[in-house]
Amino acid sequence: MSCNTSVTRLCAPSVGQAQQVTVHLMPCEIEHNGPALVSQYLTATTKDNKQEKMVSFRGRGLKGQELSCPQGYSGLVLKEINKPGSDQEDRTVKVSSVFDKLTYWNLETPPNSDDTVVMAMDWPELAEAIHGPVED
Amino acid sequence: MDLNPFDVNNSVSCRLTSEIPEVCRTEDCCLGIDEAGRGPVLGPMVYGICFCPVSKKEDLKDLKVADSKTLSEPERENLFQTLDEAKSYVGWALQILSPNTISTSMLQRTKYNLNALSHDTAIGLVQFALDRGVQLKEVYVDTVGPAEKYEEKLSKLFPGIKVTVRPKADSLFPIVSAASICAKVARDRVVKGWNFAEDLGEVDTDYGSGYPNDPKTKAWLLKYLDPVFGYPQFVRFSWSTAQTLMDSKAVSVHWDDDEEDGEKAAQRQNNRSMLSYFGASAGGNDQNGTHQTHRYFTDRRLKSLNTL
Repeated sequence: MSCNTSVTRLCAPSVGQAQQVTVHLMPCEIEHNGPALVSQYLTATTKDNKQEKMVSFRGRGLKGQELSCPQGYSGLVLKEINKPGSDQEDRTVKVSSVFDKLTYWNLETPPNSDDTVVMAMDWPELAEAIHGPVED
Repeated sequence: MDLNPFDVNNSVSCRLTSEIPEVCRTEDCCLGIDEAGRGPVLGPMVYGICFCPVSKKEDLKDLKVADSKTLSEPERENLFQTLDEAKSYVGWALQILSPNTISTSMLQRTKYNLNALSHDTAIGLVQFALDRGVQLKEVYVDTVGPAEKYEEKLSKLFPGIKVTVRPKADSLFPIVSAASICAKVARDRVVKGWNFAEDLGEVDTDYGSGYPNDPKTKAWLLKYLDPVFGYPQFVRFSWSTAQTLMDSKAVSVHWDDDEEDGEKAAQRQNNRSMLSYFGASAGGNDQNGTHQTHRYFTDRRLKSLNTL
């Protein structure tokens, strides 16, 4: 909740040291926070046909597409350095890895322009048009 | 039997066929259908058809084909050789349904069950023979489900062909026995030489028969369970054996079409304490009080972030 007074700090120098990683956005909730054998299972079995990628996860068919981060933006994976004991304490996170594209997976249907994530990528361009400096 | 077309991509369904004997295009023919590997939790299910001229039925009997289940593996291999040597009048075709095809069909949003998948595969193979010019007059089918309904369905689909659906047809009609041998030989070879697409290093191939009650199969399923991904595509995820093991030993995965308890799902998605309703921003809107987020942002699930 936002009613506490704690401050979250992003450890900025960590951006430069962070590694580029491949990111998969899955159409399900996986109750797991931690390492996973992504390249051994997911990447190794992904089929790339033209624009569309196909794979299965837990026996369900997925269709995917690569999405680039909007121009001028970077994707960040954040990791908390010391988990605070209470929500009153300040928190510090560091950038554990960065990405400039991600693979967006849908259950059975190919991703399309009506999908939330695909649409969300339009916002920076719209924001620029609304808030950016006006040119002659 | 060249299994290479399946081995290069064993995540999908694959059709393998013999040459069509010339005599099958000119003479009235009979065709048998059987399957292998319906029950196992590992590996593909293989559908097989075998066909020959009606006039050659006796010759087929002389080849001593019998129900594949009563034969040992070497005996089946030998009989397949014999059938292959009779290629001047015997033809066959197989549809290998990969375990991944079975999993993703049975677990599809709009469920596609094993019976429907089996029927469609059998129908596809009969149609294949017709399309290749085989003069079909009689079709014999082995079934596990109710025979009459299936017989009626096939008779309607293929008018002019006498369709006979029987339980245990593989021990009653030599042409069905022949089909069962082709299917079983293919399934055994595929399972034995399974090409794991996953990068698992050296995989222990001592997986037994693949049937859920085989202790070797059970041991293998325990050994190769990954907490996140569950299993390699060699395993049928839709089998209760696999599901039960994943439920107890792998992390939970939730899909938007899961049929779970509504209350439980709501709790998981929104596990907010009752106390939060008494906080400053009661109502739950993270924006400052009265500010309503525009639909443009809610449609895109975009939120402005001031805390993690």
